[in-house]
Parts: sequence; structure tokens; C-alpha cells
Amino acid sequence: MRGRLPVSGSQSSLREANRARVVDAVKRHGGLTQVELTGATGLSPATVSTIVKELLGAGMVEVRPAVRSGRRAQLVTLAHRVGLVAGVVVGYRHMRVAIADVTHDVVAEQTLPLPADHRCDTSLDRAALLVVDLLDRVGVGLDELLAIGLGIPAPVDASSGLVAVRGVLRGWDGVPVAQVLEKRLARPVFVDNDANLGALAESTVGAAREHHHSLYVRASHGVGAGVVIGGRLHRGVGGTAGEIGHVQVDPGGRICVCGSRGCLDTVVGIPALLEPLRTSHGNLTLRDVVALANEGDPGCREIVADAGATVGGVVANLATVMGPERVVVGGELAETGEVFLGPVREAVRRRTLLNQLTPLDVVPAELGMRAELMGAVVLALQSTDVFENADDGTQKGSL
Amino acid sequence: MTPGRTPLLALRQISKYFGAVEALVGVDLEVHAHEVVALVGDNGAGKSTLAKIVAGVLQPDSGLLEIEGAPVTLSSASAANRMGIASVFQDLALCENLDVTANVFLGQEVRNRAGILHDGEMETATRSLLRHLTVRIPSVRTPLRNLSGGQRQAVAIARTLIGNPRLVVLDEPTAALSVAQTAEVLTHIERLREMGLGVILISHNLNDVRAVSDRIEVLRHGRNNGSFRADATQEEILAAITGARSPSL
Repeated sequence: MRGRLPVSGSQSSLREANRARVVDAVKRHGGLTQVELTGATGLSPATVSTIVKELLGAGMVEVRPAVRSGRRAQLVTLAHRVGLVAGVVVGYRHMRVAIADVTHDVVAEQTLPLPADHRCDTSLDRAALLVVDLLDRVGVGLDELLAIGLGIPAPVDASSGLVAVRGVLRGWDGVPVAQVLEKRLARPVFVDNDANLGALAESTVGAAREHHHSLYVRASHGVGAGVVIGGRLHRGVGGTAGEIGHVQVDPGGRICVCGSRGCLDTVVGIPALLEPLRTSHGNLTLRDVVALANEGDPGCREIVADAGATVGGVVANLATVMGPERVVVGGELAETGEVFLGPVREAVRRRTLLNQLTPLDVVPAELGMRAELMGAVVLALQSTDVFENADDGTQKGSL
Repeated sequence: MTPGRTPLLALRQISKYFGAVEALVGVDLEVHAHEVVALVGDNGAGKSTLAKIVAGVLQPDSGLLEIEGAPVTLSSASAANRMGIASVFQDLALCENLDVTANVFLGQEVRNRAGILHDGEMETATRSLLRHLTVRIPSVRTPLRNLSGGQRQAVAIARTLIGNPRLVVLDEPTAALSVAQTAEVLTHIERLREMGLGVILISHNLNDVRAVSDRIEVLRHGRNNGSFRADATQEEILAAITGARSPSL
């Protein structure tokens, strides 16, 4: 960060750099007191005070009284006039929580590692506590939270908030996920499938924002996809649209957790990906495989590339059905770059129909690993009537 | 990580007695580089005793300690430190009145040729260390008393990294922390693993343990009572801790 800023130059460019430094520090920490800002930026207290005053005048930050180690202090946070939303994405081994304002700017973010087969009640409980903790970090109360967007790695029926397919997410069947969290936080909760959220984010603020029809593929512990048609997310009955992890690729294959035989997830899901590496590489996690593939480990590259080819075949079929302008690939496996994306693109290129006018684009997710989290934020924002709350917010601000 | 490779640290048949109390009886433990091994067990199962033996604070009455296959004697904490083992105990042993940098470099200060403290260098090192661990502490000049429990734990973890250790022992790092702070500490542990270090994690919280460990070793009454992969169910591990299930021999 620091290297990007000009080191020397005219007075005004120096002031500009110092301002950027202060805004940067506030962004990174959520909220800081002026004294803490002095330490974080290395600027003098007088300079920090002047800059905060300027930023306050420009409406970029807000200052509110706070108490730090028993003393009164001025907590500086980024301005969020209309309120905030929270995005929560529960994965197989991680939970990510973000607090963002109405312009999709994330003001606080935290990742929590989760155990394998984590329990629904424990995880939702921790999600609620994390949201409250993060709000506390940026110095606002729960009442300023407009809504919460929640993503889980299973198809969700939007109306009932239940996991639509039994057995896909162990321990989460029959739990009204949204209601449970709503009860804890007393704020509206909107829930969707993680791949759908990724598609929502990439089509709203990411790589497919200029395209009407796009396909988002999420290759993580399992594979999922989100289908955007005419700029709108197509969820299908019970939110099951785009569940390519359960497309049959091996008619004689293993039985999947969903109950069918030879699903894509039984071939490229994490247990299936890690198993062949166990003899040669020992106990690996998905992140290890990604890191090793990026370092050039031949075994891991082979595994990831083969998975790319298999996923690519299914993606090509899906693309033939829906005719997207662009395919966006996200999830951990996409972090290996061309190792995974190359074979996916290759499989798509082989289908003549997809490349009639122009070759179908296969690009990495612009939001990277944060696509789903941003999707949860977008979902919360889209589901809330921001304007209705806008009056509310300004009143609160003027009080 | 790779089977068959020499473990970073191996304890073989370690026993430790305090008078008539059998703290550890013939305990085996192996830790490889790039691996988080959790040590779980009931109160008094011998977890902390084992950690103290690894840290060089206590000496075993019998048994063998090997580092990368070579037998060693860890006669003191600084001897363990020289062998690349760093530890964080429950009380953290930090100084409330000193700032973050001073705490990180406590007892291992960088001095210039005249013997005067090299503040600038230490601050830069601390800053890059905290950044590396993705620690969220506004300023390295903040006195420790102003930091939260999670931030203090982060400072204690950062301190262990000063001598470029190969193995880090963490005793109950998430005890008495809020969920957000726990999340931070668990993320730090993941970072240590990604940096290629071996980590021994002692905790009561099975949720936290199962979230970040590669392997879970259960101690019961000072004896090994089962070894589990991280995807073992909570019930299996609990059964081993409580003694409902004996190790499959």
C-alpha cells in the first residue's frame, strides 16, 4: 500500500498522499480513534486532526464519540449515510462475514475457519455473534443494519428458506436457516445458494457486469453454477437451477450425497480430488493443493487440470443450453489461474456452436475469492428498500 | 505432511511424574512441518505438561525427544528456542506497560554496534511481521493494555516468530476470546501452517481444534488415547476424551 503513494513532491501532492493514507487506515481497521490514526499512519497528531476535519467536511468520514481505555475519544469511521448491510457466507470449512455500505464498499470483514461437517446451530450462532462483533468494530449498533444476506453451499428455496435438497449439506436439512438468524439478530435475513450469490456479484459489480447473459461457475469443495439470464439471476424450482455438481458425468460412478449416481461432485469434489494425492503428498487441504499447484507441483497441477477438463465439459453443455455471453469462473480452484481455467476454456472452445459469432469468453472471477461474500451483500441490498430507509438514515444522521 | 518423512519433532515414550502423580506415561507424539497437531483432553490429562516438555520448561523423567530424527535434550526454554521451538502459554507473558514492538522483541532486542536499541529496525520488523500474519493492530506503538484479548494473542504469536522457529506451541490460544477474536487467532494459526511451520495446538474447544488441525491427538490420564484425522466426527473425539472409547489397539 505504502509503496503506491508518492514519497515526495509538491505540498498538495503530499497532502493528497497523507489523506489517502488516513482513508486507507480507516478502511483497513473499520474504525480508529484519532490517536490510533496517528500511530497507524505515522503522521503527526496535528496533521491527522486537520485531515480528519477535511474528510469530515467532504462527507467521506464520520466521527462519533467512543471510549478507549477509559478515556473519551473520537472514533473515525467511513461515512455510511443510509445504513449498512451484512453479508455472511458459510462454506464447508470457512465462514466469511462482511459489513458493507449501500455502495458495496466493505467496511469490515472477517474469516472464521470451520470444522468439517460443522453443526448448523453452532455455525449460525457464531455468524450472529460475528456480525455483532464486526458492527461493534465500525462503531454502529444493530439498528443501523438494514439486512443480512446469507449464502450456504446448498440449493435453498427462497420462499421457505429451507435447504431444498436433503442430504447435500449434512445437519442442515429442515432448518429454516433465514428464520434462525433473523430471530437472533432481529433484522431481515435473505438466504441463497453460494454459487448463485457469486453469479449475482459478478453480474452486478464483477466481470460480467456489462453482459446480459452470463454463467458463473464456482469450483470449490463442490462445483456449483449460477445462471444469469437477461440480467436476472435464474433460480429455478427450489433454487436448484445451476447445480452442475449434480449433473451426471459417470454413469457407472459412485453414489453422491444427493442419492444419484456419478454426479460431477463425486469426480471433482474435494474428497475425490484429494484422494489420489494421499499416497504421494499425504494429508492435504484444498488450499494446500491450490498453493502447491501455483508453486508448480506437477501432481497437484495434474489433478487441478483434470478437474478443469471435467468441469469444462459440463460447463460447455450448460452453455449450449443457455447461450451465455461470458463464463466467469470462481472458487478456490480458479485461484490456480490458467491451470484450471485453461482446460475449462479448451473444453468450451471445442463446442462449435458456442463459438459461432465470437469465441465464448472464459474469465476468472473479478472479485476472486470474495465473489460469494459480495453476492451476499448485493442480495441484502437488492432485497431491502434502501430509499425507504434513506429518510430514516438522514434523520438519524442529523440528530 | 508426506508419509514416511522424518518428523520435525518426535516424542517417544515420554513419562513425567510429580511425586506420586503420573502426569505422562509413555506418551508418543509426532509433528511434521506444515502440520497443525491438536492436543486435546480433559483437565489434568497432561496436555500442558507435554507442552512444557516440548518448550523445554520441564524435563521428562524418561523417554526420547527427537528433532528431525536426531535425539536432543531440551534443558531450558532458551535451549528449546535455539532448536527452533517457540511457545505461547496461557498467560502470554506480555508486559502491559510496554508497546507492541517492545513486547515482540522482549528479551531479544536488536542492538546496534554501540549496544543501543535499534528502535527503527524493530518497529519495521514488527510491522511486517504483523502484516504477514494479517494482524489488525493499528499501531506498533500502542501500549499492550489498550489491546483486546485477540490482539494480545496475536502479539504473543508474532513474538514467537522472531527467531524463525520451525515449531510453535500454542497453549489454549482461544480461551476467553470473543468469536471475532477467535476467528482472528484461528486465521493466524492457518497462516503459520501455510508458512510451513509445525504447530502444536492445545485447546478445550473441539470446534476450534477441528477447524484448523490436520491431526488430533487425544490424551487421557497422561496416556495416548487415540489419534484422529481432522474430519473425524466430534462424537468420536469426545468418546476418546471421556474414555467411552479406548484406542483401537
